[in-house]
Amino acid sequence: MTELIRLEQISKNFGGIHALKNVSLQVHQGEILGLIGPNGAGKTTLFNILTGLYTPSSGNIEFKCCSMLGMKPHQVLKLGIARTFQNIRLFANMTALENVMVGRHARTHAGVIGAVLRNAATRAEEAAIGARAHQLLEWAGIAGHGHLLAKHLSYGDQRRLEIARALATDPQVLALDEPAAGMNPVERDTLRQLICRLRDQLGLTVLVIEHDVKLIMSLCERIAVLDFGELIAQGTPDEVRSDKRVIAAYLGGGAG
Amino acid sequence: MSRSKRQVWLTFIALGAMLALLPFVVDFGLGRYWVRIMDLALLYVMLALGLNIVVGYAGLLDLGYIAFYAVGAYCYALLSSPQFGLHLPFWAVLPIGAAVAGLFGILLGAPTLRLRGDYLAIVTLGFGEIIRIFLNNLNAPVNITNGPQGINQIDPVSLLGMSLGKTHQLFGITLSAPHQYYYLFLLLTLLVVFVSMRLQDSRIGRAWAAIREDEVAAEAMGINVRNIKLLAFAMGATFGGLAGGLFAGFQGFISPESFNLMESIMILCMIVLGGMGNIPGVILGALLLTILPEALRYTGDLQRAWLGHVVVDPSDLRMLLFGMALILVMLFRPAGLLPSRQRKRELVAEGDVAVQEQANVYDTRR
Repeated sequence: MTELIRLEQISKNFGGIHALKNVSLQVHQGEILGLIGPNGAGKTTLFNILTGLYTPSSGNIEFKCCSMLGMKPHQVLKLGIARTFQNIRLFANMTALENVMVGRHARTHAGVIGAVLRNAATRAEEAAIGARAHQLLEWAGIAGHGHLLAKHLSYGDQRRLEIARALATDPQVLALDEPAAGMNPVERDTLRQLICRLRDQLGLTVLVIEHDVKLIMSLCERIAVLDFGELIAQGTPDEVRSDKRVIAAYLGGGAG
Repeated sequence: MSRSKRQVWLTFIALGAMLALLPFVVDFGLGRYWVRIMDLALLYVMLALGLNIVVGYAGLLDLGYIAFYAVGAYCYALLSSPQFGLHLPFWAVLPIGAAVAGLFGILLGAPTLRLRGDYLAIVTLGFGEIIRIFLNNLNAPVNITNGPQGINQIDPVSLLGMSLGKTHQLFGITLSAPHQYYYLFLLLTLLVVFVSMRLQDSRIGRAWAAIREDEVAAEAMGINVRNIKLLAFAMGATFGGLAGGLFAGFQGFISPESFNLMESIMILCMIVLGGMGNIPGVILGALLLTILPEALRYTGDLQRAWLGHVVVDPSDLRMLLFGMALILVMLFRPAGLLPSRQRKRELVAEGDVAVQEQANVYDTRR
C-alpha cells in the first residue's frame, strides 16, 4: 500500500493545554481509516491540522512526500484533501445546488472580467460547474432537493449535502468529522453504504471520526485511537478492540 | 416563466424611453432644480450599488465607504482644476479616479481581513474618518487638497469637445446642463447595474456569498478568503470612486465636509432600507432616500400656507420622519422594501421551522 499522508510527531498546544502530543500516523492510499477516542481526545484538532485550519506547534505533515506545513486551508484543499465538519457548516442560505457549485471554486478559474463579459469560456465553465453539481447531488441521493435552501434540508440530507460539496472539490482524501452524529439507525446504514461507495466507486481515501463503535468497526480497515492527545493504539478493528490501553481509555483506568 | 422574447424587448424599450423622457417631464412639472436632484440620486444609486457588493454580497459591514467616494472626487478635482493647473480630459480622469479608489479599497481592506461584524464596522468607520481628516489637513506644509476650503472651479465634464456644464442644442432640443449630466449618469448607472448583476451570478458572486454565510467553511472549500474579500473591497471602492469623480465634475466644487460619516451611514441605510443584496431594492432605497428628504423641504411652505407660520422646522421634520420611516420599515419589512429572495428567507423564521419539521417527519418514515 502506498503511503498518502504522513504525520510526524505532531503536537498542538492551546496555551497550557496539550491537545495533541507527538502523534505519528500514516494514511495509506485507498483505505478507510477510522479515528476514535473519548470526547476531547484531540480527534477534531488532528483534522483541523490536517486541513490547514491549525498549524501544529511542532512536527511535520507530508502529503505525497511534500511537506504541507504552514499551508492555508484553500491550498490544502487544492492538493486534494477535503473535509466535512462535526457541526454541519453548510452555506445555510444558499440552495443545495449552489452549495455544491461553491465546491467547484478551487477547480475553476473565471474571474471578474469573465463574469462581466460572460464570454464563451466562462459560459462553458458555468455549464460544467452546474452539470457536475447536479451529478454529485444525484450521487449523494439528494437530486430532488437541489433547489431547496441548505438549511431547509433534513439533518441526514444536510450531512449528505456536505459530502457532495466536499466531493465537488475533486479530492483524493476525504476527511469526515462525525458524519453519523445524530442519525437514526436507518440513516446510519445508508451513510455506511455511501462511505463505502466513496472508496469503491470513486477511489477515495477516507478518514472518519466517529463515536459509533459498531459503525466504525464494520466500516474501517484500520483504526487509530486517540486519548488525551496521544495516539494510544492503531491497527485492524480486532487488534484495537483487544488492546488493553483502548479498553482502559473507554472503560476507565481500573478495567484493564 | 413563459414570457416571450419580444415582450421582454418591448418592456426594455418602453423602460428606456421612459428613462430618456423623464428629465423633460420632471423639468416641466417640477422645475430644473429637480433635474439636479435626479442627477444626485443617480450618483447615490451608483454608490449604493458599490457598497452593496461589499455589504450585501460579501457580508462585510463597511462604515467608511464614503472615503472611496472622496478619493474618486479628489482625484478628479486635483487632475482637472486650477489647483495644480492640470486639466486632463474626462475620459482619462474618471478611470484614474476609479482605479485609485479601487487601490485604496485594497489598502484599507487589507488590515481588516481578520475582523468580522462589529469590529470590522468600527475599523472601517475609523478609516473613513482618517481619509476625511487627511483631506482636511493636507494643505500644509505642502498644499495638496486646499484643506477645509475645498477645491473650486473644477472643470465640468466634457465629452467629444462638448462641455456638459453649458446648455446645448441637439437635433432642435435644448439640453440644459442637468439634462446632459442626467444622461451621462444614467448610462454609467446602467453600466454599474449590469456589472453588479453579472458579478452576483458568477463564480466570484458565489464565493462572496459563501464567505458571507460561513467563512471557515468557505476557506475549507478552497476559496482564497483573503483575495476574494479584497476583491469585494476593491470592486465596491471602484464604483465609489467612479461616482466620486462624476460628483466632482458635476458640482464643480468639493470639500472634505461632503464626505463625513453621516454620508456613509446614509448609503448603508439606502441598502438596508431597500433590501440588501438585491439590485432593484438597493436602487429603490437610494432613490427614496435622496428624493424624500428633498420633497420634505416643501413642508415648510405647506405649514406657512395652512397655519400661517412654520411650526416645525422642515430640516427637523426631515430627520424625524426619516427616523420614523426607518423604524417602520425595520418593524414591518425587516429584510428591506424589496428584499432578495435569500435575505427574506434568512429573516423569516416561521416558514423554516415548518419546512424543517416536515423534512424530519419525511426522514423518519424513510
